Amino acid sequence: MGHAIGVVGQFGLMLLLAPLVSGFIRQLKARLQTRRGPGLLQPYRNLSKLLRKGMVIPDTASWIFGATPHVLFGTTVLAGLLVPMVSAEAPLSMFGGVLAVVYLLALGRFFLALGGLDSGSPFGGLGSSREMTLSALAEPALMLAVFTVAIAAGSTNLSAMVHAALGQSWRFLAPSQLLAFAALFIVLIAETGRIPVDNPATHLELTMIHEAMILEYSGPYLAWIEWSAAIKQLVLMTLLVNVFFPYGLAAGWTPAGALVSLGWFAAKLLLLSVAVAIVETTNAKLRLFRVPELLSVALVLSALALMSAFLF
Amino acid sequence: MRPGARRRFDEMRSGAADLFPRWREEHGLEIYVDVPAAEAAGLARRLVEEGCRVAAAFAEDRTEAQGCFPRYYVFEHAEDSRYLLLRAPVAPEEPAFASLAAGIPAVNWAEREIQDWFGLVAEGHPNPRRVALHDNWPDVNPLRKNFPIETVLPPFEGERHIYRPTLGEGVLQIPVGPIHAGIIEPGHFNFSVAGEPILYLQLRMFYVHKGIEKRFEQLPARHGVYLAESISGDSSVSHGAAFCQAIEAAAGIDIPERARGMRTILLELERIYNHAADIGAIANDVGFVVANAHGSRLREAILALNEELTGSRLSRGMICPGGVRWDWGREQEVRIEEVLARWEPDFSSLMEMIESSDSTRDRLERTGTLTRKQARDLGVCGVAGRASGIDCDVRRDHPYAAYGGVEFRVPVYEEGDVLRRVQVRVEEVRQSIGIVRSVAGALERGPYRAPLPPLPPDRCALGAVEGWRGEILHWIRTGADGRLERCKIKDPSLNNWPALVEAVQGNIIADFPVINKSFNLSYSGTDR
Repeated sequence: MGHAIGVVGQFGLMLLLAPLVSGFIRQLKARLQTRRGPGLLQPYRNLSKLLRKGMVIPDTASWIFGATPHVLFGTTVLAGLLVPMVSAEAPLSMFGGVLAVVYLLALGRFFLALGGLDSGSPFGGLGSSREMTLSALAEPALMLAVFTVAIAAGSTNLSAMVHAALGQSWRFLAPSQLLAFAALFIVLIAETGRIPVDNPATHLELTMIHEAMILEYSGPYLAWIEWSAAIKQLVLMTLLVNVFFPYGLAAGWTPAGALVSLGWFAAKLLLLSVAVAIVETTNAKLRLFRVPELLSVALVLSALALMSAFLF
Repeated sequence: MRPGARRRFDEMRSGAADLFPRWREEHGLEIYVDVPAAEAAGLARRLVEEGCRVAAAFAEDRTEAQGCFPRYYVFEHAEDSRYLLLRAPVAPEEPAFASLAAGIPAVNWAEREIQDWFGLVAEGHPNPRRVALHDNWPDVNPLRKNFPIETVLPPFEGERHIYRPTLGEGVLQIPVGPIHAGIIEPGHFNFSVAGEPILYLQLRMFYVHKGIEKRFEQLPARHGVYLAESISGDSSVSHGAAFCQAIEAAAGIDIPERARGMRTILLELERIYNHAADIGAIANDVGFVVANAHGSRLREAILALNEELTGSRLSRGMICPGGVRWDWGREQEVRIEEVLARWEPDFSSLMEMIESSDSTRDRLERTGTLTRKQARDLGVCGVAGRASGIDCDVRRDHPYAAYGGVEFRVPVYEEGDVLRRVQVRVEEVRQSIGIVRSVAGALERGPYRAPLPPLPPDRCALGAVEGWRGEILHWIRTGADGRLERCKIKDPSLNNWPALVEAVQGNIIADFPVINKSFNLSYSGTDR
């Protein structure tokens, strides 16, 4: 019974919270840029608008074009259910650990890249090729960084990792943890398509990565893709805040415990969103060929983190 | 610097008088050199060897009056304050002329325009395809006098333009436009890429060709200024001023001192707001969005000042033949200094922000390099020219309005990359503030408009203005009853588009937007 509540609760939380986090970062950026901003609720308004609109599907598209939004949404939500959000017990943790999270996200990305190619537009191909180039570096960095924590916990199951970390509240000061956190933060920026890697707000097709792949999508398909992107961002942010700073996380699924850990969760997400918005506002986008260098930094950091996990 | 009497063309002539058989100086601004058709090419090449820049090339239909189509090549030299117009006839029985484009790439597009609009074949042109009229147009010659402007052509079908294929393993063509994702004008860019690096770029403009040059021939000359102001919205003042200068020269009048000062202030304010917006927009294209927000804010402050001074945010309707349309009171003159006093530190802090951003500098430096040789060959002018070592500025070299009486520096850089095009703009904004201050300080009460006498027929005149992009030329020939027989408009974008093709080669395609923005050329001004 507790499981059922956990699955439904976290599922609902993800769907509802993810657009809010996007809206918050967007609004904060607008304020930092001396703009007024569209308000926190704009992503919800966008989604409801897109869901009600008709679709234009390219003549050249095959079934892959239509399957992509669904596969992407499904894999992202599944990955999210493997990550502990408001309870140390992730709802589906018995089905898989961090490897499952990484590969579910990779499967979604694979389909997104295919969808970009399938649209037949040159921008789709451009975006897909760029995305795959970057993910070849971002993925190992993500895995190595999480492995650092996994080694300390003796398990790749995220719930087990969080449980282990909950016992040692100052553990995040260990050098291996700090390095892994830094690496994961860079991966977060890259995977969510933010400056300095990609510019989520640009209208310049030639500079896009993520947006180029989805240029041909419209209506409900686009809504699914945008929603998935927001959920993916929330999942990665959760990974950062809960695996490294599990403080405040309830051990099981009780209403009171869930409420308290929800408060902590929100506070931690808030801090991380502010950090993301500041990074985005104070930096220019990297030249495309410099982005792999940045991701290599993440890879090296996480490799160092893994090594120092054995040393210290 | 600005020598008192710069007479380089006279020296050239005294060295080889036989090359310049018919020489007539007009208004102290232009020299018309008439040569037989066969000698035009030789003389043009010689002038280029002497260091002249070809500013424009155009033609007119004089079949009724003179029985020929005169074609013109406009030359400019840093050491002469006049423009030299080389004029050679083309016979209507044999509508063709020897193209100069192979030796002088700067006239590539201009000669093709002549070909499209007048039906005069540019023989030996290395790329004689259409430029101004798209490939699906029927065979018409819209600027000939026997083509009525009311003509309604049947709907066109077929390819607008057939691009040259690029071959090779892994080489891909990426078509972009003419409809773009942002709110910009239409233009088609056809990239040939090998992975990310750009091998070659093919441009297609003239999607918004409006036949403005033809339209001028229908209007009373004094109303032409409204049309001139709408050639390119962001250069309203510059195009308006260039047109009025041409009209005033043809009418043989001098405008009052006060009008000269007021025009100078308006021209410089136009430069300031465009440059400030461009600096922000270039930063925006490398993802430094904050700078863009401030750049737009700074632009807005000047637009609001324009509105206070002229009633129009783009200062339209202020400049008129003979001077300016109405006078400023004391309070308006005070407002200029008030606004600038607040604006200048604001601009400096924006520049500090941009200059302290290493990631921005990293994106701009050595991106989109246009070498000095390329710029010289293509006749690049204005901001893009000065960033690539082409030291030309109409304000200094061919003074008009009140520029003869103010001191200012013309920034020139050698490297020719995006960063230098930004720096030229920054430096020009600072110089422009100085110009506005010194002209506004010296502004004295007095008449602000000279009466415009009826225009004498059959006079030629040239108006030259350094718009914020670069050199703007309006060449007119007056006709009967106060109308124009021909008005040729040369926007600096026309010189500079081909340079973009050179500047992007070897860069990665993701950097194209910022390179394009650093040129920021006008589609409307090009297409006319």
